[in-house]
Amino acid sequence: MAKTYRRSQWSHGLFILPYLSAFALLLVFPLFWGIWLSLHKVDLFGPGRFVGLANYVRVFADPVFLQALRNTIVFVIVSVPSLVALGLFLALALNRTTRATSFFRGLFFSSSVLSVTIVTLIWRFVFIPGDGLMSVIFKHLGAEPIHFLSTSGWSLFSIGVATVWWCLGLPMMLFLAALQQIPADLYEAAALDNASPWRVLTRITLPSIARTIMLVTIIQIVMQFQLFGQAQLMTNGGPNGTSRPLVMYIYEVGFVRWDIGKGAAASQILFLIILCAAMAQYVVSTRKTEN
Amino acid sequence: MRRILLSTAALIALTYGSAAQANTTIELQRFFGACDADYGNVTDVSSAVGECGIITALINKFEADNPDINVNVTTVEWPGYDQLNAQLASGAAPDVVSMHYSAISDYQSRGLIEPIDEVLASQGISPDSFTDAARGGVTKEGQIFGLPFDNWTMLFHVNLNLMKEAGLLNADGTPILPTSADELIAQGKQFKEKTGKPYLVQILANETASYARILYTLLQQQKADFFADPTKIKLNTPEAKAAVELIKRTKDEGITTLGLDYAAAVSAFANGDGGISVNGTWLIGDYVAQAEKAGTALSGGYTVYPVPQLFPAQDSTYADGHSWVMPKKDRSPEQTAAIAKLFKFLAENDFQWARTGHLPAVKTVFDMPEFKSLPHRENIAEIAETGRSLPAAVQRQFAIQDIIGDEIGAAVNGDKSIEDALSGAESRINDLLANI
Repeated sequence: MAKTYRRSQWSHGLFILPYLSAFALLLVFPLFWGIWLSLHKVDLFGPGRFVGLANYVRVFADPVFLQALRNTIVFVIVSVPSLVALGLFLALALNRTTRATSFFRGLFFSSSVLSVTIVTLIWRFVFIPGDGLMSVIFKHLGAEPIHFLSTSGWSLFSIGVATVWWCLGLPMMLFLAALQQIPADLYEAAALDNASPWRVLTRITLPSIARTIMLVTIIQIVMQFQLFGQAQLMTNGGPNGTSRPLVMYIYEVGFVRWDIGKGAAASQILFLIILCAAMAQYVVSTRKTEN
Repeated sequence: MRRILLSTAALIALTYGSAAQANTTIELQRFFGACDADYGNVTDVSSAVGECGIITALINKFEADNPDINVNVTTVEWPGYDQLNAQLASGAAPDVVSMHYSAISDYQSRGLIEPIDEVLASQGISPDSFTDAARGGVTKEGQIFGLPFDNWTMLFHVNLNLMKEAGLLNADGTPILPTSADELIAQGKQFKEKTGKPYLVQILANETASYARILYTLLQQQKADFFADPTKIKLNTPEAKAAVELIKRTKDEGITTLGLDYAAAVSAFANGDGGISVNGTWLIGDYVAQAEKAGTALSGGYTVYPVPQLFPAQDSTYADGHSWVMPKKDRSPEQTAAIAKLFKFLAENDFQWARTGHLPAVKTVFDMPEFKSLPHRENIAEIAETGRSLPAAVQRQFAIQDIIGDEIGAAVNGDKSIEDALSGAESRINDLLANI
């Protein structure tokens, strides 16, 4: 019986071969190629020369990289909890089957289907000085308009607002799907026990969707570490590099300065950071579930 | 059945015939924007306005004049070099690409573009027909690597209506422009006091090019040889400090717009939100068209001048230019001949391109009565002598521009001291150039 079982496992493996081939070709191979490039002094147009870990040394000695790393971490720390909290709030508010909630679900999800170009164009209209919406509101209130896109601090904040608005749809939908999986009899039992709404939320709803909260958090950490388009189009990383994320640094070094080796080294560091962040989140959540 | 067969044969013959007629295709990739909705079918080049309109109409006209040549145009986001790099790396480069003179050395030094001396010679185009500045911009190690199309600089675009309100007009209607740094500030204050609007409309946000071009201009006006060695920049100098201090003063004294990116700065000036826009030659055609319309902020009140000499050492303006280059790739002799024809056509129609506001690359255009009668060209003609570029051997000029914009922007916005910004820019640029 055991022998038959083992043999069937091998043949089953063939079914995943097409996917495995695509995975190896499009993800594993580029990953190792990236590591190989990071050990070379190389541009886009020809073979390079082996330099060992020199590119990594140069990356860590580059104050612009360290600033971009700091910006990215701050952005993730602020935007991911915002996305999780707002997504959960909207899902809880819209977890009913009425016409109005269906409309609002569609409305809140609609921003997710837009391209980054459209999203940044819309938020540029909001934040740009002069004729921008915020500027008009500030003037109407008699206050001095803030230059959101060209003031340190505000520029990263503006990118964060645009990002949360753009990315909110997916967390909301995932939370809605999870909420609808909670058995109704748990809520009925709580109602019989006369539990308060807060108690229902903290003792039934949140524990029931804990795995989804973890999933959304990991997805968002991975996504937000890869911030690029919004920063490139809204602030170009400025002012003074205060809104330059890591991916933009990699793009500038690799494609504008043709220093592919250094760009690849920075990419590997970003890969490790994302991997560690996602794994840490996973380990913490798994331990909690086991306890 | 017989009729169907005959009709099919006729259709195939017709299709083949038309395909045989347009049998040479060249892929052209350019910036200058997309405007097919307005100019997609326009072949009357004289009716087109602005960079995008004129280049679109020019290509349409070339195709109409040469039915055996099909030009496939791909429009890229300015400046489009990332896309070109990816295409070159993957062996899928277009046949003809628009390129700044300042970018040519990067591609030439890496053997990525072809010398075009023979291509030009095949159509009888003499290098001597180009202006010195244009020919110098495309010549590397004695060979020509691009068809020069123009020279451009930053200019003072002036709203005469607001200047009149500010009391900054001469009796003959010309604007009173500053002749020194102190005069610039004084006139700016006067303008602000009289009109309540900023004197200068500058691109101080979300763009690096503008900072770099103004810094280069102010350094040149002080005769600072900041690229004496093309592999090292020198910015820890009194001249660089004086230049950045002046840019910063325009902000600190409240005489400039703040927080505007390129698009916002272009429309702010058109809307009459400031007196003088510091922007490029390419906007002359558009602003002239607006000045000719009734009811706009520029109606009957627009003119343009080179950036004034604000430092006493010499009159100078940083200049660059656009060219058409041929990436290295396999081409059929027919394609090379078609490109040569296109280059001849573009050189012959350089006057049309000069209507954008750019200075012509072809010498004879300067003597054409049509060019001389273009509005304001006499004001900016001196740029032919005062326009200066960076030394041809300086590589990665676009990356350098980004670093300068980053650092000088930080100094102007008060995020860094001027000394720190200049030191930062110098060390970052020199690290970049040392690792090419």
